[in-house]
This record gives sequence, structure tokens and C-alpha cells, in this order.
Amino acid sequence: MKEIDARGLACPAPVLQTKAAIENEQATSVRVTVDNAASAQNVARFLQSKGFATETETRGGDLVVLGRAAAPAVAPAPAPPVSAERCEHRRIMVMITSDGMGHGDDRLGAKLMISFVKTLAEMGDELWRLVFVNNGVKLTIDGSAVLDVLQEYEAGGLQILVCGTCLTHFDLLEQKQVGVTTNMLDIVTAMQLADKVINI
Amino acid sequence: MDFFTPIVDDPYDFGRIAAANALSDVYAMGGVPKTAMNLVAFPARTMDFSVLRRILEGGIAVLREAGVVLIGGHSIEDAELKYGLSVTGYIHPARVLAKKNLRPGDRLVLTKPLGTGILNTAIKGGLASAAAARMVTEQMAALNRAAAETMEAFDVSACTDVTGFGLLGHLAEMVSGSGCGVRLAAARVPILPETIALAAMGLVPAGAYRNREFRQAMVVFETGMDAVMQDVLFDPQTSGGLLISVAADQAGRLVGALQAAGVKAAAEIGEVTGAGQEMIRVV
Repeated sequence: MKEIDARGLACPAPVLQTKAAIENEQATSVRVTVDNAASAQNVARFLQSKGFATETETRGGDLVVLGRAAAPAVAPAPAPPVSAERCEHRRIMVMITSDGMGHGDDRLGAKLMISFVKTLAEMGDELWRLVFVNNGVKLTIDGSAVLDVLQEYEAGGLQILVCGTCLTHFDLLEQKQVGVTTNMLDIVTAMQLADKVINI
Repeated sequence: MDFFTPIVDDPYDFGRIAAANALSDVYAMGGVPKTAMNLVAFPARTMDFSVLRRILEGGIAVLREAGVVLIGGHSIEDAELKYGLSVTGYIHPARVLAKKNLRPGDRLVLTKPLGTGILNTAIKGGLASAAAARMVTEQMAALNRAAAETMEAFDVSACTDVTGFGLLGHLAEMVSGSGCGVRLAAARVPILPETIALAAMGLVPAGAYRNREFRQAMVVFETGMDAVMQDVLFDPQTSGGLLISVAADQAGRLVGALQAAGVKAAAEIGEVTGAGQEMIRVV
């Protein structure tokens, strides 16, 4: 347990000391003592943004924030820093309207799309819904190069919506292997609820 | 009149920001600032006078931009550097804009994005990007002159400038005693880039917590409102924008006119609800 005494320090010093402890010393459990509610909340919030479970208790006139890494350890490797600093409530909706990315060379477009779908994971928890329409629905059927990636996303809790009208149009309704078949009302509602809609 | 300790490293920028901040009160009343006097506290034994020169030059640059004449001032020796100005302006007594004349049905327009407190905290900790640091400096040094001149042509019932109490703190000042309530659309409030992510990392200045403690009895957040967003709405601003209550049918035109005048971030962020409880509802 790494002990930090940040009493008498003003924001952002307590957060910076905590940051140094978990990033430089790779501490997986910390006890930070501060003397005001603002610092306690800031330290707790910082720890939570780094994947720590936190508890705050009062001791005398001071506040003690306990933080424990939720995952096995805070190995710096896997989690990209961007997703670690995410804001919990942002909702990004990505709408994929084609089976290729961009216009020009179709084979290049298909390659780029595979890479795009795989790299979407970097958005972390902010990635909220993935919607497939028009030619995009072909990415959700048997034989799609990204089918396993999408199935993994879905298993991880990502909501995947696939346009029913489009599947019917291409006669692919039976071949769809991932996501929930959806209608335009769902898509429009999702657009309204999302904080950001990215159209590909 | 306003003065404070340095909030940025560059003395010239500090001078500009202090001047824009001091002039803001006159603009918020609908007035035209005319003259100003410097207020200086300077650690002459430990700091080179070239620093003071740069601060005063920054202040004068902004005064010139505002069409204000510097007519004097006063300085003392102090361990901690401070700079600000006392500003005098003109206004017709019948046209003075008060904070407390909110009119039911009016729309609320904000002219600068929020986040200077959080970004300055992050800059202090070396956690904001250089681009964000530059942007927040420019925003703090930007005058509220164009905003004030633009709103003159509109049916405005009340106005204030958003500073240390944060958006919700200053809104609470407008609401208390007005007999009206306010409905604020959090999603429409302009916010500086990186602010949300930095606030989510715990880089919220203690002032934001004090602002919330002081005013939370007047504010109702819709269930599920992000705690980070709540802090941003209470974030203390340095040289923030004008918060304008304008007739509903003119709100769209006012925002358009502000943007055309270079006040790019101007946005409609809420409405004044009818007589009843003096509460702020954040949705």
C-alpha cells in the first residue's frame, strides 16, 4: 500500500502526487490523505479514471481516499491512455453505410474497413452503438472478414444494430451472424441519444 | 474594479487577461468603458522590473483595443505579484442592465465557452496540451466588447458576466430575487476542448466545489446528470463571457449577430421559466 500525505496541498497537487505514484511506481493500492473535500473528490475521480475502485473515509478532520486497482495490475501495456481518461457518460454512435471505407479503389476500401472496425476498440467504453445500413450490413454476415471482431464486441456489451430493410433488400436476412435487426425509428432514436454520431 | 495574482506564466498575457477581466463588468452592465487606472503590487526586491513592464504593456494593448484611456494608477511593494485595473465607463441610467431582471419566457445566451478554471488547474499540473494552454489564454484575454455592443440592439432584460462563481453560481445570482426559475440545457453549453476529459481526471479547482456547496440548494440536476458535467457548470471562470437574458423571439438572431461579430462560441443555453420557485433546473 502506497501512502501519500497530501494534506495542506491545493489542487492539483494531490492528484499529481497520486498520478506519480501509480504511473511511476506502478502502485496498485494507494492511501491518500487530504484535508479538504475538493481534493478528496478529485483524487477519487482520478483513481477511478485509471480503473481503481475507491473508498473515502473521514479520519479526524482529514479525508482518506483508498484506491485499489480493479484489474490484475496496472500494467502500462494494454489499455491505451486515451480510453483510460474517458468520460464515463459520453456515447459515441458509429454508423457504417458501406462495406468499404472511402471511394476510389474497392479492394483498398475493403482493407481499410477491416482495419477500421478492428481499431474501433480504441474508443474504449465511449463506443456505444455500432449501426450498419445499406452495403454496410454485408459486414455482419457469414464470411465477413470482421465477423469475429464484431461478435467479440457484442459479447463485450457493445450494441450492434443492423438495418432490417437493408438485409431484406440484399436477401441476407438469414445470413446475419451478429447484432440486432433494427428499423429506422431505432436508428433515428439512437442518433438523438448519442453524444456524437460518426458516419462512415 | 478587479485584480488578481498571475494565472499564466507569460507577463504580457497576464496583463491582457487582467485588463479584459476588469473591463468585463462595465460591458456586462451594457456600458462603454472610457478610462482606467492601473493597480499594481510588485515584489521589487526579487523580480526584475522588465516583468512589470511586460504586464503593463499587455494591459495597455487591451485597453487600446477597447478604446479606453489609461489615466494613472497606484503601485505598492508586495511579496506576491498582483495586477488589475479600476475602470470607469458611461451608460445612460435608463439603460443599465441589472442581473436580477429576468423575464419569464426569455432565452439565455452565453458568449464564451466554460472550462478556464479546469484548464488552468491542468496547465498548473502540466497535463493540458500546449494548444489548449494557448487557447485558454486567448479566450481569457478576449474582450466582451463585441458581445456588449451586439446585444445593445436587442431586447435584453438582464445580463451578467460569468467569473469566479461559475456559470451556475452567476445564474443563481440572477435567479435569486427575480421570482423566476431557469431551465438550463447542459448539452448546449459551450465548453473548451479537453475540459471534460481533464475534469474526469480530477483536475477540478477547489473553487468549483465551493461554488457548488454554496449554491446547490438552488440547483436541481436531472437524474443521471454526469458529475463531471456538474463540476464544469460550477467551474470558476477567469474573464468569462456574458450571460444574456433576451426576448425569446430574438434569441436566434442575437446568437447569429454575436457569431457574425466574432463571438464564435455564442450559444443559446436555456430559458427563463415562469413565476414560481427560484430554482435552476439542469437538463
